[in-house]
Amino acid sequence: MSLDNILNNWSDYRKAAEEGGFYDPEGNHPYEHRWTMSINLDLCNGCNACSTACYAENNLAFVGKERFEKGHAMSWMRIERYWDDQDKDYPEKGASFLPMMCQQCGAATCEPVCPVAATYHTPDGLNAQVYNRCIGSRYCSNNCPYRVRYFNFYSYYDDAWPEPMQQQLNPDITVRDKGVMEKCTFCVQRIRSAKDKAQMEDRPVRDGEVMPACAQSCPTSAIVFGDTLDENSAISKLWKKHQVKRNVTQQHKENPELRGYRIFEELNVDPSVMYLERVREEV
Amino acid sequence: MAVNKRIPARNRRRRVGLAWVLGLVACLLAAPMAMAAKYDVVAPGGSHDGDDVEQPIEFPHNVHVKDNDINCMYCHTYARRSTVAGIPPTSKCMGCHKMVATDKPRIKALTEYWEKKESPPWKKVSDLPDFVHFTHEKHLKTLLFDREFPVEDVKEVCALCHGDVENMTVAKKVKPLNMGWCVNCHIENKELGAPGDCWKCHK
Repeated sequence: MSLDNILNNWSDYRKAAEEGGFYDPEGNHPYEHRWTMSINLDLCNGCNACSTACYAENNLAFVGKERFEKGHAMSWMRIERYWDDQDKDYPEKGASFLPMMCQQCGAATCEPVCPVAATYHTPDGLNAQVYNRCIGSRYCSNNCPYRVRYFNFYSYYDDAWPEPMQQQLNPDITVRDKGVMEKCTFCVQRIRSAKDKAQMEDRPVRDGEVMPACAQSCPTSAIVFGDTLDENSAISKLWKKHQVKRNVTQQHKENPELRGYRIFEELNVDPSVMYLERVREEV
Repeated sequence: MAVNKRIPARNRRRRVGLAWVLGLVACLLAAPMAMAAKYDVVAPGGSHDGDDVEQPIEFPHNVHVKDNDINCMYCHTYARRSTVAGIPPTSKCMGCHKMVATDKPRIKALTEYWEKKESPPWKKVSDLPDFVHFTHEKHLKTLLFDREFPVEDVKEVCALCHGDVENMTVAKKVKPLNMGWCVNCHIENKELGAPGDCWKCHK
């Protein structure tokens, strides 16, 4: 990536901040794909299968209990827990879960603060993290409203995978070293291999061909993943059904009963993940 | 054939004669053109003086490629359908060398490995770091099959990155194979669809 591209990214970001998104209304946009996700919180039962699958797929280091307590856990996909009502007799009853990972923002706040352009916007609409470029300034993590960037404080590979567990490492993704920031990539290695395969067969990538590890492992199929540039994909239909639009800071729905929403969209970061609100029982 | 049936015998003979003349002219014209029609994708400049790799058997690429005109993809068969070009299994070597040149010392060494049911511990010469996603199949598709370059001349395509292997005995790394070198080629060949995105290669 040349310096031109980096500067273009930055100017695109400024444009997004000032004019509400660099998605051209006439459909001229720089994207090849637009990978997006939808998470149905009504189906999520907080089982942590997605998080576990993410650990296995993406070579996430197991940091151990002491480092976990210091907040060094590397869970790219984490389940956040919330309680509806603390005053109940059974406080554990009202728990609700929210899987939280990188939202692959269209106007990501992590990108313009990186001093070495290690994080940038790809033509697929993802926020890429190039580990070789990263110098570990941690500006990106501090500027992320979702707190989904994780820093390697140690060379975890020394003890994270004792023999013979190193054999389960995924060869399609780097084992990161000390001093490098990392985050959810929407399983870019799976996207890459699907695109390679499609290119070899001279066809576009089919809907459902790319499935991140979290979506694959979800027992209730709460996670749907796909390309929103493909009008007929399941994810496009879902976004349309819930009348959630991109490049807006506030959704205007014809039917306020629809459950789709995006987290922190009022910050104009244009997140790529739509959450479907939990259906709560009325007492 | 269907056309020829409708032409009277006398005319057909004349036509055949004309075809011969035309064919000869075409050959005369095409011969220098064919020589000029070298492979037109240019490898980026830069050379590298790699270490001499000591292989278990001193494999002579020149004998196989230059003297016997064996296609690169006959042995490195995974190049067109996988990320790696692959080192051939010993059975592929023995496919010929059960019969061919069995009296040579190198072939005797190979036969020993074969009888022990072991493969010679070949060493990798052109290696990329583990954080790089590189696929041979996509490069061959773009540079060879999509351009309809004759497959029998694939060594010219291989030579873009692997150098003049047909004149080497044991292969040696003669191109830098580093990021700047890759990126230069991708910039020069943008119209062939060479991507410029970091995440195409960095993983």
